[in-house]
Amino acid sequence: MSFKRKFQTFLLVLSVMLGMIAAQNTIFANEPFDELPTLELEKDELKFGFIKLTDCAPLVIAKEKGFFEDEGLQVDVTAQPNWKQLLDNVINGELDGAHMLSGQPLAATIGFGTKAHIVTAYTMDLNGNGITVSNDVWDSMVEADPSLDSPTPPHPISAESLKTVVQDKLDSGEKLQMGMVFPVSTHNYEIRYWLATAGIHPGMYTSQDIKGFSDAQVELSVTPPPQMPSTMESGTISGYCVGEPWNQKAVSMGIGVPVTTNYDIWKNNPEKVFGVTKKWADENPNTHIAVIKALIRAGKWLDETADDGSLKNREEACRILSQSNYVGADFEVLKNSMTGFFYFQKSDRRSMPEFNVFFKHDCTYPWYSDGVWFLTQMRRWGQITESKPASWYDETVKKVYLPAVYLNAAKRLLAEGKIAKTDVPWDTDGYKPPTKDFIDGIEYDGRKPIEYINSHTIGNKD
Amino acid sequence: MPSQEPKADSIKYGLLKFIDITGFKVFDPVVRLCFGEEPQKQLGQIGRFMIVPVIFVFCCMMLWAYVAPRHKTKSGEVPDPTQVWGALVVNDTLHKRENEKEADFLLTGEARTKKIAEVETLLKAKEAEAKTLKETIPEIAASVQSDIDASLAPVQKKYDELKATHKQEVDARKEKIKALAQSVANNEASNEQLIALLREDSVAKKEARETQKAIKEQIAAINDNPPKVLKNTQLQYSSIENEVQHLKKRLDYLNSGNRGQKVEKAEQAVVSAQEKLDAAEEPAAILAAAKSVVKGKEKVERITSQKYPRRATIWFQVWRSLFTVFIGFVLAAAIAIPVGIMCGLNKVVMACLTPLISVFKPVSPVVWLLIFQIVVGAFFPNPETHPLFVFASSLPWIGGLKVNPAMVYSACTVAMCAVWPALVNTALGVSSIDQDHLNVAKVLKLGLWARLTKIIIPSSLPLIFAGLRISLGVGWMVLIAAEALSSSDGLGKYVWDEYQNGSSQTFANIIFACFVVGIIGFFLDRIMIILQRSVSFGDGAATV
Amino acid sequence: MSQFSMEIDDASVWFGPPSQRTEVLSDINLQVQPNEFVAIIGFSGSGKSTLMNLLAGIQPASAGAVQMNGEEVTGPGPKRGILFQNYSLLPWLSVYGNIELAVKQVFPEMTAPTRKEYIQKYIDMVSLTGSEWKKPQELSGGMRQRLSLARTLSMQPEVLLLDEPLSALDALTRANLQDEIIRIWEVDRRTVIMITNDVDEAVLMADRIVALTPGPRATLGKSFDVTLDRPRDRTTLNFNPRFIELRNEVTKYMIGINEEAKALHTSTDITLPNLMPVDFNTIEKKPRKPDQPAVGAPEPVRSHGEPGRQQELVTAGVDNE
Repeated sequence: MSFKRKFQTFLLVLSVMLGMIAAQNTIFANEPFDELPTLELEKDELKFGFIKLTDCAPLVIAKEKGFFEDEGLQVDVTAQPNWKQLLDNVINGELDGAHMLSGQPLAATIGFGTKAHIVTAYTMDLNGNGITVSNDVWDSMVEADPSLDSPTPPHPISAESLKTVVQDKLDSGEKLQMGMVFPVSTHNYEIRYWLATAGIHPGMYTSQDIKGFSDAQVELSVTPPPQMPSTMESGTISGYCVGEPWNQKAVSMGIGVPVTTNYDIWKNNPEKVFGVTKKWADENPNTHIAVIKALIRAGKWLDETADDGSLKNREEACRILSQSNYVGADFEVLKNSMTGFFYFQKSDRRSMPEFNVFFKHDCTYPWYSDGVWFLTQMRRWGQITESKPASWYDETVKKVYLPAVYLNAAKRLLAEGKIAKTDVPWDTDGYKPPTKDFIDGIEYDGRKPIEYINSHTIGNKD
Repeated sequence: MPSQEPKADSIKYGLLKFIDITGFKVFDPVVRLCFGEEPQKQLGQIGRFMIVPVIFVFCCMMLWAYVAPRHKTKSGEVPDPTQVWGALVVNDTLHKRENEKEADFLLTGEARTKKIAEVETLLKAKEAEAKTLKETIPEIAASVQSDIDASLAPVQKKYDELKATHKQEVDARKEKIKALAQSVANNEASNEQLIALLREDSVAKKEARETQKAIKEQIAAINDNPPKVLKNTQLQYSSIENEVQHLKKRLDYLNSGNRGQKVEKAEQAVVSAQEKLDAAEEPAAILAAAKSVVKGKEKVERITSQKYPRRATIWFQVWRSLFTVFIGFVLAAAIAIPVGIMCGLNKVVMACLTPLISVFKPVSPVVWLLIFQIVVGAFFPNPETHPLFVFASSLPWIGGLKVNPAMVYSACTVAMCAVWPALVNTALGVSSIDQDHLNVAKVLKLGLWARLTKIIIPSSLPLIFAGLRISLGVGWMVLIAAEALSSSDGLGKYVWDEYQNGSSQTFANIIFACFVVGIIGFFLDRIMIILQRSVSFGDGAATV
Repeated sequence: MSQFSMEIDDASVWFGPPSQRTEVLSDINLQVQPNEFVAIIGFSGSGKSTLMNLLAGIQPASAGAVQMNGEEVTGPGPKRGILFQNYSLLPWLSVYGNIELAVKQVFPEMTAPTRKEYIQKYIDMVSLTGSEWKKPQELSGGMRQRLSLARTLSMQPEVLLLDEPLSALDALTRANLQDEIIRIWEVDRRTVIMITNDVDEAVLMADRIVALTPGPRATLGKSFDVTLDRPRDRTTLNFNPRFIELRNEVTKYMIGINEEAKALHTSTDITLPNLMPVDFNTIEKKPRKPDQPAVGAPEPVRSHGEPGRQQELVTAGVDNE
């Protein structure tokens, strides 16, 4: 662990320096022109892409609150029509970087879908997704499980009660259709996890079947997030897993009932990352660090709490996000989930303070263990067609997740006094401790991917 | 009077000719009336061809205003004309706000400090207004809630009662079934009786569920339609809050975000670096200090040339769409006219191209877009540094339109779809050239080039322009779809973004965009008509 | 003064495949002396325009040959200027522009100022002064034909071919233009071949009248020498016995060959592809059809049938008042 030692020495030096700076006058502390090696930006006009979801907030906030500007960056953030195009635009250089699904950089790097080496040094948020079913399906679920017939049914709602609906459909020669946003999205793995936990087979990907319908009892197809409610209303799908505000939208439109959130499926699961191409990261290392710095500050700003523990900046964030060039949804709708509330039905408003986490729980750090989880899911559902050794998971994730960049940025922020020392996990090997915070209670240890894959009933085994 | 007549007449006929050329024949009687020509007849004409249509359009608006609020959709309310007008106002406000911020970004010196004070007072006032409004919201919400509760209470009560009676009934039946089962066991009743009872029970349960559901729907309907007061207040509050947000951002741009301020800051840094350099003695230190001076100076230069990062407002989208369609149209014309002429002149070329034209003409723009996205994308591995885009961004006017690969392939898609009408018409124009004109060419022994430029092209120009006019119309329609799909800034993307936003404003904004697209399309068509008329030599082009 | 003669030797023109050949002109023989004014008179549909195209070189002879001054005509050229029946003006060019196009092409070496003067001279010659910048569609029929004449003359052709130049004009304009053409011809003599369906016109203008028998297989019939003195004055000519006699002679001959042709027509069963059936005994006006044929319309239609044009089908001598 020579790296670790070096790092500790570095920290020591850093804190000494900090002390010196603090001892000098304060202007210098804010203006470390000479005291710290300044970042010589390779590029200072950047264009980032995002999808209209509340979890693009760090990007938008970093721009609107001037965090990018503080780094000397002039950033343009533009909405993208769907995840595929967003990824394509990052790859073809139209965008410098983007708000991405956690699975996207990994999948692109291993060549599932569009192949390109994408890296990430920043996790944008935790949680934030929900599974919504249509009113009809909800009624059948209620019928199957009378305990749900209440304005505030007990949570978490498992997919057990969905089984009869699925079976009824199968009996009539159809399959229940549900939507998710992208083949390698968190949503896809979450809704599969939720269904599989109750013994409903969500279908496997094979080298021939790239839609993932093999053996499916429920067919999951791709629909862009903003189109989810209208697609469900039109009857093409009977339920979906998507990020906010599209679950709340179903409630406000009165077309469906969110049955569960990914917080219930896996507590504090990683959701979106900030992805750039490897090429871009190599060509613009300092710019990359500067961007991550601004994003860390944005994350911190979003999770800042008032004395009473409420999230004090979230309302302003919603105000900004509701602008039509960002998420554009109504302020009132955005406010629900962002300020820690979630409507499961119009009558069922629950407090979910951790529905969107942007900074807490060392959220923004690019954990290797998070990446490995997505890889295990890709293997479980057959997107990775052949069995891989445990070492492959570790190697792959280390190609994609760049904690070094993150720590570099964090260390500079610490030196500038913009974050506290406790905000960042300075000396971790990148793997979180094993956790059982899943809906089915199965333990996940990022260091043991093969064992984890094998511990599930439905899905590939190695 | 008589002495003035010739001059007045020439003005009149000038105007009439202009009206005729631009295709606004409707105004013809107005002009004539102004010059006092047969007032009775002109008034009749105005009545029939202007007032009646205006009344008709007005009636349509009234119908719209009447029907819209009565047509409930789950995705939101159908906006009425006033809401669409509101969308125009909102979009225009956004545009103006961008202008303000841009001005703030560039403001320096005395004007800046003055502006700061101005914005600050405004901000204070707005904040106060927002605060008072915010305080009233819970009150209104409470009163609305109590209203809802009041109207809900009887229904809820009915529901609870119904549920209770149903439960009682269920329990009673359960008892009965139990008893009967016992009797069956005791051989006092037949199995058939039990089955009948069970079936009865199932039917009753189903009925109970249905009635319950009906009342539940009533409850939902009451919940779904709260009085408008609350929503309106919230909207009002929202708009003030947005204003506050805007003013805060303006202050940002006047202070730390201001270009002048940033430059000043960077210059100060250079000065201090310079001092360091002067003071440094060690070679390494001198080098480092000198380096930082250079870097600092570079930074100053960079900041000085910084532009305000405008967000795409509706008018920007309009200009960008127009530019894209123009590029696409020019491309289409550049392909269609020469190829069309070749087709018209040479039957072999025509025979060669006919299969291609027939196959590709009906292909949907969406398909072309996807193809171009892949094909064109390959030409621009590094869009930022590609000479084409660097060149385009250095041009005045066009530089601000953010030319990028997405624009290129949108334009290509437009060109691909717009090329066919122009091509087919050009070919037709050339091949149907009057034999007499060709005889003239023969008698004069004109060479190929002279024949093309002197006879063939001028003679087919009216048809070529008729084709181009159709092409432009097609191009404009295609562009909107292409932009929506490729997320190339423009009206199409505006519509798509609005759809994706799914806010309460969405619907109004989309209808507003529909009018913008339509009106621009109309004017583009008029321009083409004028061009077409100016090149035609016969009875003139038909106007529709 | 032109020194050019024209000669047609045993020329025939036919269309269509060998199995279904339609012979429009058959064994045409004609000699025109230098500076002679020959009028060829024939019925509509008898192949007059084909004959004119043959002379001009636009239509090659299927058999036989056309010669100018002993040299075979292989294609059209400015040496044989044609005055087309429907003017053939370029509608996108002004009066000046139409002439300029021809002048520029025929006299490329001419300098700009000379050319301007030269063009103006021809405009003045046909009394179009003041209308230089008007477009053809702003001109009346007579003015259009005058412009066409000016254009043709400006090329200084050795032989002037007039293809029913006046048949689309009303009677008064027509008389006017006849005088004008004669006036210009008297000043600047050259070989002229005029095709017409008007006996009066032929007698008034020509040195010699040659009849064209009705088609199909039209050929040249009897030739009449017009021995009236020039200049001929139309006001007194009507009372000139020689004139009346000649007119009656020609008319009678024409009617005679028409009867013959009709008899022939009914006995032999010949299909006429793309030709409109015409009744030679009635005066009939066809409505003008739009001048836009479909892409790739069969070529021969235009060169002999002329179905798309306004046609005045008249019996000889009737239409002149």
